[in-house]
Amino acid sequence: MLEYAWLIPVFPFIAFILIALLPKRTLGWEDGCGYGIAGAAGAFALSALVVWEVINGRTLLPEDAPRFTWLIIGDISVTFGIWIDELTALMLVVVSVVGTLVVIYSAGYMHQEGVTRRRYYAEIMLFISVMYGLVLADNYIEMFIFWELVGLCSYLLIGFWYERPSAASAAKRAFIVTRVGDIMFMAGIIILLKYVGTLDFVTLFDEGGTQAVPADMMTLATALIFGGAIGKSAQFPLHEWLPDAMEGPTTVSALIHAATMVKAGVYLTARSYPLLVQSPESLMLVAVIGGVTALLAATCALAANDIKRVLAYSTISQLGYMILGLGAGGYLVIEASNPNGYTAATFHLINHAIFKALLFLCAGSVIHSIGTNDMRLMGGLHKKMRITSITMLIGALAIAGLPPLSGFWSKDEVLAAVWHAGEFDWTFTLLWVMGIVTAFMTAFYMFRMWFMTFAGEQRSDFHAHESPKTMTVPLMILAALAMGSGFALFIGDGFKTFMEGSIHGLLQGVHHESPMDVAVEIFTDPLTYVSLVLAIAGILVAYRLYCMPGFDRSVFAKGFPGKVQRALENRWYISQFYDDFAYKIWYGFSLVADAFDRYVIDGVVNGFAYLGANTGGKMRKAQTGNVQRYASLIVVGIIALLVFMLYVLPWGGW
Amino acid sequence: MLEGVPIISIIILMPLIGALITFGLGRYGRYARYVALAFSLVALVLSALVAFVFVVEPDSSSPGYHDGGGFFDYQFYEEHTWIEALGIRYIVGLDGISLPLFVLTTLLSTLSIVFSWDTKLRPKEYFGLMLVLEVGVLGVFTTLDYFVFYVFWEVVLIPMYFMIGVWGGPNKDYAAIKFFIYTHIASLALLIAIMAMYFQAGANSFGMEDIWRAGQTEFARMFQIGVFAAAFFGFGVKLPMVPFHTWLPDAHVEAPTAGSVLLAGLLLKMGGYGIIRVAIPTLPLGADALQLVMAVIAIASILYGAMLCLAQKDLKKLVAYSSISHMGFVLLGYATFTQLGVTAGVFQMFAHGLVTAVLFMMCGVVQHHCGTRIIQSLGGLSKKMPSAATMLTIGFLASLGLPGLVSFAAEFMVFVSMYETWGLWLLLPILSVAITAGYYLWALQRSMFGPLTKEIDTSDVHDIDWFEGVPVVVLIALIAIFGVFPLLLFQYIDPAAVTVINLLGLPGGG
Amino acid sequence: MINIEYWLIFSSLLFAIGAYGVLTRKNAIVVLMCIEIMLNAANVNLVAFSSYYTTLHPGLGADASGQVFALFSIAIAAAEVAVGLAILLEVYRRYQTIDVDKINILRW
Repeated sequence: MLEYAWLIPVFPFIAFILIALLPKRTLGWEDGCGYGIAGAAGAFALSALVVWEVINGRTLLPEDAPRFTWLIIGDISVTFGIWIDELTALMLVVVSVVGTLVVIYSAGYMHQEGVTRRRYYAEIMLFISVMYGLVLADNYIEMFIFWELVGLCSYLLIGFWYERPSAASAAKRAFIVTRVGDIMFMAGIIILLKYVGTLDFVTLFDEGGTQAVPADMMTLATALIFGGAIGKSAQFPLHEWLPDAMEGPTTVSALIHAATMVKAGVYLTARSYPLLVQSPESLMLVAVIGGVTALLAATCALAANDIKRVLAYSTISQLGYMILGLGAGGYLVIEASNPNGYTAATFHLINHAIFKALLFLCAGSVIHSIGTNDMRLMGGLHKKMRITSITMLIGALAIAGLPPLSGFWSKDEVLAAVWHAGEFDWTFTLLWVMGIVTAFMTAFYMFRMWFMTFAGEQRSDFHAHESPKTMTVPLMILAALAMGSGFALFIGDGFKTFMEGSIHGLLQGVHHESPMDVAVEIFTDPLTYVSLVLAIAGILVAYRLYCMPGFDRSVFAKGFPGKVQRALENRWYISQFYDDFAYKIWYGFSLVADAFDRYVIDGVVNGFAYLGANTGGKMRKAQTGNVQRYASLIVVGIIALLVFMLYVLPWGGW
Repeated sequence: MLEGVPIISIIILMPLIGALITFGLGRYGRYARYVALAFSLVALVLSALVAFVFVVEPDSSSPGYHDGGGFFDYQFYEEHTWIEALGIRYIVGLDGISLPLFVLTTLLSTLSIVFSWDTKLRPKEYFGLMLVLEVGVLGVFTTLDYFVFYVFWEVVLIPMYFMIGVWGGPNKDYAAIKFFIYTHIASLALLIAIMAMYFQAGANSFGMEDIWRAGQTEFARMFQIGVFAAAFFGFGVKLPMVPFHTWLPDAHVEAPTAGSVLLAGLLLKMGGYGIIRVAIPTLPLGADALQLVMAVIAIASILYGAMLCLAQKDLKKLVAYSSISHMGFVLLGYATFTQLGVTAGVFQMFAHGLVTAVLFMMCGVVQHHCGTRIIQSLGGLSKKMPSAATMLTIGFLASLGLPGLVSFAAEFMVFVSMYETWGLWLLLPILSVAITAGYYLWALQRSMFGPLTKEIDTSDVHDIDWFEGVPVVVLIALIAIFGVFPLLLFQYIDPAAVTVINLLGLPGGG
Repeated sequence: MINIEYWLIFSSLLFAIGAYGVLTRKNAIVVLMCIEIMLNAANVNLVAFSSYYTTLHPGLGADASGQVFALFSIAIAAAEVAVGLAILLEVYRRYQTIDVDKINILRW
């Protein structure tokens, strides 16, 4: 069964081809949505089978995997295959569930877009297809290829409403910024290729593969590969593209910029674990980047007024958590042979994918209904949009980390892992503090958003209505999943045991924790209650500030709080810095280069041409037109030549 | 199949006969395009047949096989004496390096003829010159005799000069003369190199193989360095390499679209072909001594070209500068002196030929439909010409090295070989990947996206015409096919690249 | 038989006189005549070498090609004069002069 997993991306790809190339009449329902749902559902069904196999303990052996030879040059051969282990299965769940639901949801959300829907569905299908490809890749080049292709789809879909200058600009920005990360990724795998001679995971993650790379090169290579994750998963300092990417349709934000593509960076980091644990320095980099990003993005979310931007910053922040968890988890693996950080981060990955997709789709439902993103113009929607409001509340509670919703379990696990890593390096304790502050902020801004949107009085003139069934049903499914997915910790052998399978080779001695042990550990750990209390405090503060009447928010406009507020609204000026860097410094530099090219280099060329023409102009004056003068010159010339040949040359010895 | 058939000569003759007929059409000039298309199509089909029959790992039973005895092994080899006293022979043949370029030549010529279907100004001469150009380029890529090589090399200049000078833009006189003189000076350097090799070898033969064989004992190190420098200059100007590149943007901006396609798609490849066929294998010690110079120039071309693109206001000039940047990859691949790098360099030539043809054709479409190529005056054209915008986007994406499209494999392999040879200096050229994305997407954003421009009259802007769309679609299909299956081409190039590397390792005498 | 040097000296003088005339005289007809003198100097050389051929190269046998060449040269000189005079006539008709200093359109 597993060797047919390569068919998973084929379904959506066929749908993409059909939607892109079929004549207009035959596109059918919603300009191709039918094909889209069929393609996504086919992939979903096959993914489900694959995941079921993996849950039953079967993984694909490399020699059974079908292979496609892409390149052979000399001793370098690049072949593509599929790689299926627990981590792949996890991503397959995310992509198939969210992908299918988003396509169904799109039927309602994109309804009024008219003929351009065809482009939309084609691009979405292409995205789903290449995202599966990325997940199934069994070597770094294959992964990199799909990595770039998901970036392309992201570019195309952010710029879906290309006639809006902001959308066109955001699309470009997203592509270029992630490409900076991609460069590092590429450089990293090139380094590995030189030392190991292949990029297949099976060789690379083997004892022989990891030992072939010198330690300092391994640090460099893993840090560079992680650079790819920084770009794709929008980590500091390359995180500013993600909030801008909200220019795309909300479905795109939910699918690509919350649930799947931005997870690719986390997936890459998790996938590279056998390499990363060779290099504590890289792990430290991973953890610090994750922690800083989590906190920084959370602060930016505090003051955002655009509902999608709040969610975007929240996504960055949560991705930071996962990265932090992976970094800390690596230390745990090295020092204590303890997979908790890894399992926690991957658990957070799947939980976050579900509740963040839910939140985005709820936001989409709101935007679809009232036609604005600005939360200052919303308010009081709870009465008009019950389903959206309740499902979004579930999502907000999940991300805030209240039990028994999914976010509670995984976030707590991540923070616990970071705390434990603190035993081996004090930096992690610092990062833990940052994480816990982030947890408080998360609860606050999520409920600030919910209160501003759904509670209180209507603040502008709009006519809200509940969204159609195609939109609310996916919301309800996702809400149910968000409530339930946390319990994966306790089903069967438990999620942790399951995920351990993918880094099995890195752990010395197996120590199975039964689900009961996990539960006991969580509820006896005082840290659990610290984060719980902080989350509830965040919600209460948000309630006090944004829902209870009688609080004057104008204090945020003056003095020091005002300065902070403006800094937050301007995203710590990082975005502005990048703009200035790109448009003033870099573009200015290119203008200088252009002038240099035009006036100096081409000037020299034209100067030579002018010199030639000018000398010629001077020299032609010698042509007097007097034939006798010419003849005299000929005679003089002949005489000179004769003298030279008869006397000078013999004298010189020739 | 094709045993004993002088197939290459036939293919070269096809456009030549076509050109003669086209010139001689007299008052039936309006049929010139049909004649030109017919003959170039025949050449294309025959060359595709040659590619089909070409054997990846040839042995003596392969059609027209010629064992180079250490030098390149050719297939479809033909040899006739022309001027015996001077050792000038007409020798043609194909190997893994020339085959892709050979097919590329017939392909791009045919597509350019289709693309210029509605040329109104002196069609006889226009299509005739295109065919003459095809003859010249085909000759350069197949001939194995320096003298004939040089003749073909010069033949190429003349039609291109007229194409720019007659069918060009407003500043065509300046561009045409600059193109001609600049590249001609480079040709002189090449001529000096050829003559020096001929006389120093003393084999009374202009044959590449004979000169190489004699050169192993006759060419001293200093001689090789000097001659290599001259030949490298001669080929490098065509490539073009920084700082000898300024003829290129001027020529492109003024040239008609088909002229630009052929100029960037084929003429630039002649430089890259010459370096790998002539300069490096015959003068290994010179190449070795100047390896670093080549690498520095390559990296400078890549980065400097990319930076210049960012500043361009004219869409076509942007594409022209991007050619400088991308041909830098070719040189960089060669300069690594690795099998991987040489293979990737040749593949990059092929890839760039396809991609840049799409880009220049799309610039032509924009010019043709909107009347201007100035990026600031464009904007929002996606609404008016969605197919054209899609094709331009695909072209840009292919050019910026998107995986799955043809340039990626080449660029990636160049980077790998660069790392093998120079380690972390890799980080310099790899920067260009981001810059390239930057200038292309920025140009795309300003010209195709955003609100519809008000600076030009867009009321009668319509989508792409069939004769413009067909060549572009064909090219895009090839770009995708070779992007997904680069091995289709790599397998041909690889053995020839091995030969190059072996030749570099041979003792060069002196 | 007189020495060949005398013939050569004679022809050199003749050539020098002709060259002097070509370079200094203003009248185009005279210039043309001087060119004829130079040609004849060459003819003298040809004939002289031809008649001394057997003396200079004993054992090679007689060879009259020098004399034949002289005859050729005379014939060609006649044709040349015809053409030259025709040109001069045309020049005179256009410029009303045959002074070579005045006819200087052959310049930049």
